[in-house]
Amino acid sequence: MSVLAMLLADSRFPGGGHVHSGGLEEAAARGLLRAEADLPPFLTARLRTAGLLAAVFAAASAHAAGSPRGDGVWDVLDAELDARTPSAAARYASRVQGKAFARAVGVMVVPSVDGDCGSTLRAVLAATPRPHHAIVLGVAAGSVAGAARVAAYLAVSGPASAAVRLLGLDPLWVNGVVAGMVDEVEAVAGEAVRWAGCAPAELPAPSSPGLDLLAEEHERHHREEVRLFVS
Amino acid sequence: MRARADLAVEVDRHGNTVVGTLRCQAPLTLVPARANGSALVHLVASAAGPLGGDDLALTVRVGSGARLRLVGVAATVLLSGASRSAVTFEIGAGAVVEYLPGPTVVTERAEHEASLVATLARDARLRTREVLVLGRAGEPPGRLDTRTSVTRDGRPVLRQRLLVGDPALDRSLPGLAGRRVLATESDFSPDEAEAASGQWWSRSPLAAGGSVVTVLADDAATATRRLAEVAEKTSGDESL
Amino acid sequence: MSFDPTVAEADRHDQAPAAGRAVRIGVGGPVGSGKTALVAALCRALADVDLAVVTNDIYTTEDAEFLRRAGVLDPARIEAVRTGCCPHTAIRDDITANLDAVDSLAERFPGLRLVIIESGGDNLTAVFSRGLVDHQIFVVDVAGGDKVPRKGGPGVTTADLLVINKTDLAPLVGADLGVMSGDAHRVRNGLPVVLQSLVDTPDAPAVAGWVRDRL
Repeated sequence: MSVLAMLLADSRFPGGGHVHSGGLEEAAARGLLRAEADLPPFLTARLRTAGLLAAVFAAASAHAAGSPRGDGVWDVLDAELDARTPSAAARYASRVQGKAFARAVGVMVVPSVDGDCGSTLRAVLAATPRPHHAIVLGVAAGSVAGAARVAAYLAVSGPASAAVRLLGLDPLWVNGVVAGMVDEVEAVAGEAVRWAGCAPAELPAPSSPGLDLLAEEHERHHREEVRLFVS
Repeated sequence: MRARADLAVEVDRHGNTVVGTLRCQAPLTLVPARANGSALVHLVASAAGPLGGDDLALTVRVGSGARLRLVGVAATVLLSGASRSAVTFEIGAGAVVEYLPGPTVVTERAEHEASLVATLARDARLRTREVLVLGRAGEPPGRLDTRTSVTRDGRPVLRQRLLVGDPALDRSLPGLAGRRVLATESDFSPDEAEAASGQWWSRSPLAAGGSVVTVLADDAATATRRLAEVAEKTSGDESL
Repeated sequence: MSFDPTVAEADRHDQAPAAGRAVRIGVGGPVGSGKTALVAALCRALADVDLAVVTNDIYTTEDAEFLRRAGVLDPARIEAVRTGCCPHTAIRDDITANLDAVDSLAERFPGLRLVIIESGGDNLTAVFSRGLVDHQIFVVDVAGGDKVPRKGGPGVTTADLLVINKTDLAPLVGADLGVMSGDAHRVRNGLPVVLQSLVDTPDAPAVAGWVRDRL
């Protein structure tokens, strides 16, 4: 794991990640997720669905950033990820985070695979002013493996941190849960790496109906009652 | 058993949609019924299953401007053993298609792979419904691996793969939240839909136009009633 | 200059913001110290200024409706930021959500001259990042105890303006305004301090004047 990837995966990286709970806030608000025992099944299923999707597109984006490519690749990846995200609220959350991440990455001088992350990032932003988070992450991570690992890890660490803040779960215990998922995170990242060079249309499309429904209701509820996270 | 069915409909010189090609093999049986200028075809399973070894493929071509309703008359019960089914639509300019198969029940020892691939011309429309039931009453589900891929004018509209039968996903909140039935009704059209949602249902616009209604419920009757309610709701009315 | 927010030092970031962009002023302070009331007062007092507000407080459509009915500010000029239960993170450590909110307002109102960013209620160590605001106001109140200025902390010592709010309550809570003011001036090395009561002066003239001088 490169130091650059560690920087991007750090919860202190100012990429806007701390305001996203990955569906956990809605589940907690409805009383569906209350205690420590509820957290591991949520994180595991999230990793294998939304986490895999994010890792696959981060890896594909990193691959595209490091390859000679036509101008249309960012448009194509964006449209393919949209088609794999049927929930409008989930697409919104991904793009909010993507824009925030792009802002944070844009001011860093990142030695990426093509020697200039800045020019690749500009190409992404020119094609999609509010890019998906996974795609910006792929551009910034500097390697296919790093991108996949960071995306898979963030799919778990984000909601885990939200559980500490929202439910007051023991942070040491929650950290232990995440540590216990290391092999699963590696497996998801490994699968994503294997897909990285494939045609975007062929990339995996794991669905997560429950997360989609939680995301939609979260967005609706935010208009009437208090929600502290963007997603 | 390996079975292939082909259906092609087109508009004749009077402007009516007529069935041009209709080939089928048991257990995939297509029964045409002419209705008011559009085509109505019933999809009848003439044998139990699918069961182990079955490989079923249905290809539907809808010519420009044609109108087709393809309606399943009964539930599909996925029985024991590895089987697969593939449904393919090619829908021409201005054509309107409704594909309404019956519910699919994933029984305990099923291992089924299903795919729905639809290629739409720019202004074509496809409305389709899928009701997945995890096991018969009191029965855990077998395995189902279902893929949906819809493109319009070469651009992706919806690509989803759902795995049923892994308890870690079926029971989890991100997966099927422990519900026995997942029902979706997709409107693949260029229209913009308004988002709406409730506890375990939502209607969400797709990025490329059209919308998907998703319902999780404990039984098929509740799920299909909720689908109908959401479909009938006028936009803005969210009282369910 | 020192970037350590715990070091009391005159702020030297007083240069004009980039040409054409609105001046960004942060309003921070503990829960209940009167940040929202001060922001509402500033909106009234600066009605002639093209301004907008970003709130980091728990904010619902009810709040927007309240402000609209009170005629303080068009709800379209308010952006609510969700802070993921960490109000200080959103104004200091990871400011991207707030920067996005400022950008949205600037896109919506191209002539914008002032954006007031209200933090969620937090503790005495919560200050705004210089990457987010050009100037910051820290609000404490008399009812929070007259020892607060003496305690210091980055909010009290380094904010560009310290407001000691609700002075009308001093006799009721037994707070000594002289002690508070003296302590505040001592820990702030000459940075300005305003004592005010929105009961006595509902339009916060001293603070509004200070803000105007920054435009």
